Amino acid sequence: MVIYEADVPGVGKRYEVETGDGERAVVIIHHDGKRELFRRADPDADAEKLFDLTAEQSRQLATSLEGTDFQPLDLDDIDVPLGGALMEWVEIPEKSPVAGETMGSVHLGKQTGVTIAAIQRGDETIGSPGADTTLQAGDILVAIGSRSEQNALESLLETGSVEDSD
Amino acid sequence: MAGSLLLEFGIALTVIAVLGAVARRFGQPVIPAYIAAGILVGPYAPTSVAGISLQLVSDSAVIGTVAEVGIILLLFFLGLEFDIGTLVRNRRRLSVVGGIDLVVNAAIGVGVALAFGFGPVGTLLVAGVVYISSSAIVTKSLTDAGWLANPESEVILGTLVVEDLVIAVYLAVVAAVVGGGGDVGGALVTVVQSFVFLAALAGAAHFGTQYVEVVFGADTDELFVLRVVGVAVLVGGVALAVGASEAVAAFFVGTAFSGTDLVGRIENLLVPHRDLFAALFFFSVGLGTDLLVVADVWLLVAVAVVATTAGKLASGYASGRVYGLNERRSARVGLGLVARGEFSLIIATLAATSANPTIRTLVPAFAVGYVIAMSFVGSLAVQYGAALSDAFDAWVGERQSL
Repeated sequence: MVIYEADVPGVGKRYEVETGDGERAVVIIHHDGKRELFRRADPDADAEKLFDLTAEQSRQLATSLEGTDFQPLDLDDIDVPLGGALMEWVEIPEKSPVAGETMGSVHLGKQTGVTIAAIQRGDETIGSPGADTTLQAGDILVAIGSRSEQNALESLLETGSVEDSD
Repeated sequence: MAGSLLLEFGIALTVIAVLGAVARRFGQPVIPAYIAAGILVGPYAPTSVAGISLQLVSDSAVIGTVAEVGIILLLFFLGLEFDIGTLVRNRRRLSVVGGIDLVVNAAIGVGVALAFGFGPVGTLLVAGVVYISSSAIVTKSLTDAGWLANPESEVILGTLVVEDLVIAVYLAVVAAVVGGGGDVGGALVTVVQSFVFLAALAGAAHFGTQYVEVVFGADTDELFVLRVVGVAVLVGGVALAVGASEAVAAFFVGTAFSGTDLVGRIENLLVPHRDLFAALFFFSVGLGTDLLVVADVWLLVAVAVVATTAGKLASGYASGRVYGLNERRSARVGLGLVARGEFSLIIATLAATSANPTIRTLVPAFAVGYVIAMSFVGSLAVQYGAALSDAFDAWVGERQSL
């Protein structure tokens, strides 16, 4: 992307950013710190003033534009750096066939391939649960595994089987 | 006595503030408002209204000195913001553009002055008054009209940069010529003296830039402002004492600061001071203005207004074409450069110190009448510039299709 920068004698500096279709965003920074934001629809058009901004307002606006506080993300694409594995929080549904069973009895680890790092049950957190830990509806399993292993776990909790119902 | 001077000073500031606010309220330039304030309460007409005296403020040494500081700060900022980079990068186009601007407009000034019987020095002064556009009014008008983001502003502001350079040289010459008195020998001595001084100052500014940050970078804003204003006024005062132009001296002091890290701090802290002193300078011009003398030169003012408005429109249009702008935008370059203001008045102040009584009275009176008219014409030209340039574009289109 090209940003055009020019001195504006006696005024300050001008920056132009191409935004596509010949349209440009034009920023004028005055020596006294005032900023003006313009839009020029095409190279021949007159620039149309959008905003007068103070230095402080400009910084706030720039922060918002940059997405420092908020980045819209596709949740399926979140990568937690655990090698190829993901960490997910999965709730055991109310009518899950595995509710009341122990982890060992449903062969959770063996069937799905995930490792359960912890179980959150209300305010309580059960760390490194073993084969004799009983699963309850409403438990939140902190599961580490690949995408397909995570899918298998969700399937197991829903239907009692790792085979995808669809 | 000190009490009455303080009262006069207070009245001056109040009238300036009120008329400035009125001008701003109607979107008009403030410079003529400040001049009008000076005329209104100054020693000349109007002297009274309904039996109440309006001779409230005398043209005292106090106001005169404060006005000098105004000139120094105006030129200091011109030097500070002087954009040598723009000048060097665009030297080819800008020398053409600046040349057209100078030749066309100064020539019209010379023609008008000769037609009205001015001698060589008077002609030189009148040519200067009508040549130089007002950086203050033009920049303000462009900002208000939102033209800064348009390509025509590059040509307009580029032309102003060339004019800044020309006016520095011009003031140096003219101050020496006017200050040198009537005889050629005296003038020559003053010219040489002032050029030696200014050349030394320019050299000092050039080589001193690297030390400026160390010497002037005070910890507190208070000490910083005092140092910067102090050096500008002191150097200006020395210049005046050796017969050189205090304005040009201040310009060089400004260039010493330009390009250093102190520029932002100076802009933040000193602009309000400059504006206050500059307002008092314009007020002081008004104080020294006798409307009866302005009325005597009304024909000269009228002819100059018409001829030099046309001159700037033509030179601006040609400049726009040199930059490859279309007809509409080239017309706007001309419209943008019409306003005359502070520099014309600085030349007028210089003329008022002449030993020649004709120059001393007529040139300042002419300049005041001319600047008042041209500041309005120039500011309106930009306010209605979009409509005017569109009309011009349509007119050109029609002629081409015939």
